[in-house]
Amino acid sequence: MNKQKENYLKVILGLFSMTLLIYIGSTLFKKVRIDFTEERLYTLSNGTKSILNKLDSPINLKLYYSKTAANKGTEGLRAFNNHFLYVQELLRQFVSNSRNNLKLEVIDPRPDTPEEEDAVMYGLKKFNLTETERYFFGLVAENESGTEKIIEFFDPNQKDKLEYELTKLIYTVLNPQKKNIGILSSIDVLVDDLNPYMAQIMRMQGKDVNQSWLVTQLLSEFYNVKKIEKDTKSISGVDSLVIIHPTGFSDDTLFAIDQYVLNGGNVLVFTDPNTVSLKSSSMYGTSSSPDNNFKKLMDKWGIELQENSYAGDRYLSGYGRFHPNRPPGRLLALLNCNEVCTEQYNDNITSGINDAAFVFPGVLKAKSIEGVKHSVIMSTSNKGNAYRAQGYELNNPDILWKKFTEGSSPVVIAYKAMGKFKTAYPNGTKKKEKKNNKQFLKESKKESVVIVFSDVDFISDQFAFKNTFLGASVANDNSTLFLNSVEAISGDMDLMSVRSKGRVNRSFDVINEIEFEAEKRTADKVKEINASIARFQSELNQLGSKANAGNIALLQNEGIKKKKELAKNIAALKKELRNVKREGREKVERIGKFFQYFNTMFVPFFVIVFGIYYNYKRSSLMQGRREIINHKKDSHHTENFTEVKA
Amino acid sequence: MINQTVKNLFFKEFASYFKTPLGYVFLVIFLFGIGYLTFEPGRGSFFYMREASMTSFFKYIPWMFLFLIPAVSMRLWSEERKSGTVELLLTMPVTVKQAVLAKFFASWAFIGLALLGTFPMIITVTYLGKPDYGVIFLGYLASFLIAGSLLAVGGFFSALTKNQVISFILTVCVSFLLLMAGSPPILDFISSFSPKYVVDLFESLSVLNHFDSIERGVFSLSNIWFFSVMISFWLFGNIILLDENKAN
Repeated sequence: MNKQKENYLKVILGLFSMTLLIYIGSTLFKKVRIDFTEERLYTLSNGTKSILNKLDSPINLKLYYSKTAANKGTEGLRAFNNHFLYVQELLRQFVSNSRNNLKLEVIDPRPDTPEEEDAVMYGLKKFNLTETERYFFGLVAENESGTEKIIEFFDPNQKDKLEYELTKLIYTVLNPQKKNIGILSSIDVLVDDLNPYMAQIMRMQGKDVNQSWLVTQLLSEFYNVKKIEKDTKSISGVDSLVIIHPTGFSDDTLFAIDQYVLNGGNVLVFTDPNTVSLKSSSMYGTSSSPDNNFKKLMDKWGIELQENSYAGDRYLSGYGRFHPNRPPGRLLALLNCNEVCTEQYNDNITSGINDAAFVFPGVLKAKSIEGVKHSVIMSTSNKGNAYRAQGYELNNPDILWKKFTEGSSPVVIAYKAMGKFKTAYPNGTKKKEKKNNKQFLKESKKESVVIVFSDVDFISDQFAFKNTFLGASVANDNSTLFLNSVEAISGDMDLMSVRSKGRVNRSFDVINEIEFEAEKRTADKVKEINASIARFQSELNQLGSKANAGNIALLQNEGIKKKKELAKNIAALKKELRNVKREGREKVERIGKFFQYFNTMFVPFFVIVFGIYYNYKRSSLMQGRREIINHKKDSHHTENFTEVKA
Repeated sequence: MINQTVKNLFFKEFASYFKTPLGYVFLVIFLFGIGYLTFEPGRGSFFYMREASMTSFFKYIPWMFLFLIPAVSMRLWSEERKSGTVELLLTMPVTVKQAVLAKFFASWAFIGLALLGTFPMIITVTYLGKPDYGVIFLGYLASFLIAGSLLAVGGFFSALTKNQVISFILTVCVSFLLLMAGSPPILDFISSFSPKYVVDLFESLSVLNHFDSIERGVFSLSNIWFFSVMISFWLFGNIILLDENKAN
């Protein structure tokens, strides 16, 4: 074999070995990796690992993703490919931490195939792209005993909650039974509902109809909901307990709650310094919770609700009106929580919550207790602050605004306490009954979780739902926040410790600020225009009241003159309004243009300048060298010539 | 230790990019082009996305490299072979392997310099929001590695032919194939006549899949392995071709 042939053979063999080596390496070394993302998007939390460690029988995971359909689809649909890669990568992490108990199968269901039929049968969400092409993106988990649970669709907007969702799916396959939730409340949130026909008749008769709160009805779709009476002596048979507006509970009930927590039960509590949705609230009186007795329990959990103190935030204040005869405006009492309230705490309860409305939320404080870890779930923004108000002040938005000053640190409205607690009743309930309750616990046997919110109204029908033509529908994220909280306390401790990956806000802060400023100025201008119109109307009314047969013509003229003046004023203000809007837009566009030029022109300009300078210098140097050489040559030539001449 | 001759050859090669307009043209086209594409008006535009991340920037890097790297690599050996300076070079006290490595690293360093020239993008995202610097770092690392792979491919084809245009075209074709190896149309086509393991084998060759994987923020050993094997093989081929050339 000649050298040339040998070399070609080497190249071909090299190509073959390269392919093989890459294939083997890609399979073998996939597991060794470093996650560089700030949110540790691709690293499993300890809670997930702990649940995966508990697996002792195989679970099959079938990830359905219509990759072919997505690639044929629109640009928007192709964008799901990135999310699919993330889901797949995270699932691979689950598999590699499961001691071979999890098996992952990725399926691309094509039209009219058994795979597509299976996807439909499992109940995965289906999107019809064309007459034949359908799009699926869901997961099925099934174990040997035939229990199957699904995630019907992976929403890219819920990316931060993905690990929690997957862990929950595996947890529910391991524990498939429906959980029991107990509800204990001083308000009738859970009543034996009348049939709708009877309820309608009673309403027509002007009678009050007591109905369960819609959130409890919603809850019963996912759990077995059980009402716990206000004077219960023991709490048993419930996996978790929800306490709403804790006030007026008997000593026995409080003791039962105390013991329930010490036995490892998880509790969700809704307290409120001013429950406006209660019908019993008088004009100036407030209905608040917790009462002094319940405060003793909360004290042992290390959480305190400050009396007559409310959490406010200028930038999160909602728009509305206190009374029908008042003009609408910004209300300090209405706290519209978006991601600003939650993003820094990364709790799964608030994942995806960006529109939760609280009414007069209270101020929660945590005190450190040995063995208990407190974490914030929700708060105001850094510019929020607490303000004190009572009685008639609560009904006057202007007074509330006067009492409010901008703060520098967030005010907490929801806390979570995890750990081992101590009893609030070291001596039992009553001395004379002491011998009967000898067997009570003085401190926790195992860890439990207590979640406390400082508002009750946000889960009431009035603030969580709206009436539509088709009946009540959710108005905001309030009911989801409630369901998320119940879900959090009804799970395993490990599941609860799986934190949301968090969504670091990477939006353009500078641009947002400019737009916010422009919006604020626009709102001010609109307010000015409305005030001018209102002033004109009141002036017109005043003129009208002065009118009589003698001066009617004069007043009409006066009215026309004022109307012209108003039209002129409004036109000027509208022009200013347009300018304000344009200025904001132009400022953003200018920044965009600047960075476009900065990124396209800046360095190339310097490269060109450097190139010209460097080559000019180089050619000068070369020129110099050439001259020296020529000069040497010339002098050498002259010397030779002189010698010859001599 | 690196041989002094190799060092000298490396610096000579690196400096040579700045002695002709080609180096400047490359830098200007690359920096202007990547800036323009990142900010181009459209739904994928950086400013439209309003996110302080460099995803819109990195997604164009492989496609910019697809044409610009062959332009850099085509002259590595073709020019030397055409002008006959390769014989002169190989008579120096330097082995073929050393010459190939010196030239390869010089061109890689040049591409690295071009990537450094995109620093205004980092300033931009830092000014506008809160970027994830870990992901940005990996994005640059992935870009640098993909450049190395394509340069190695280019070096191989440059040694194969004396004609720079042919070298350019061959490099573009093979680079395109390597970029698209994991894409659904190509995999669909291969799966129509091959068993699944052949499809998997082909998919594992995809440069773009590995680039995307690093660019997302996870750096795995398989990525280092892939790029190392890829670069080593093409450089090995390059050395063999030059050895044969030397023998002839």
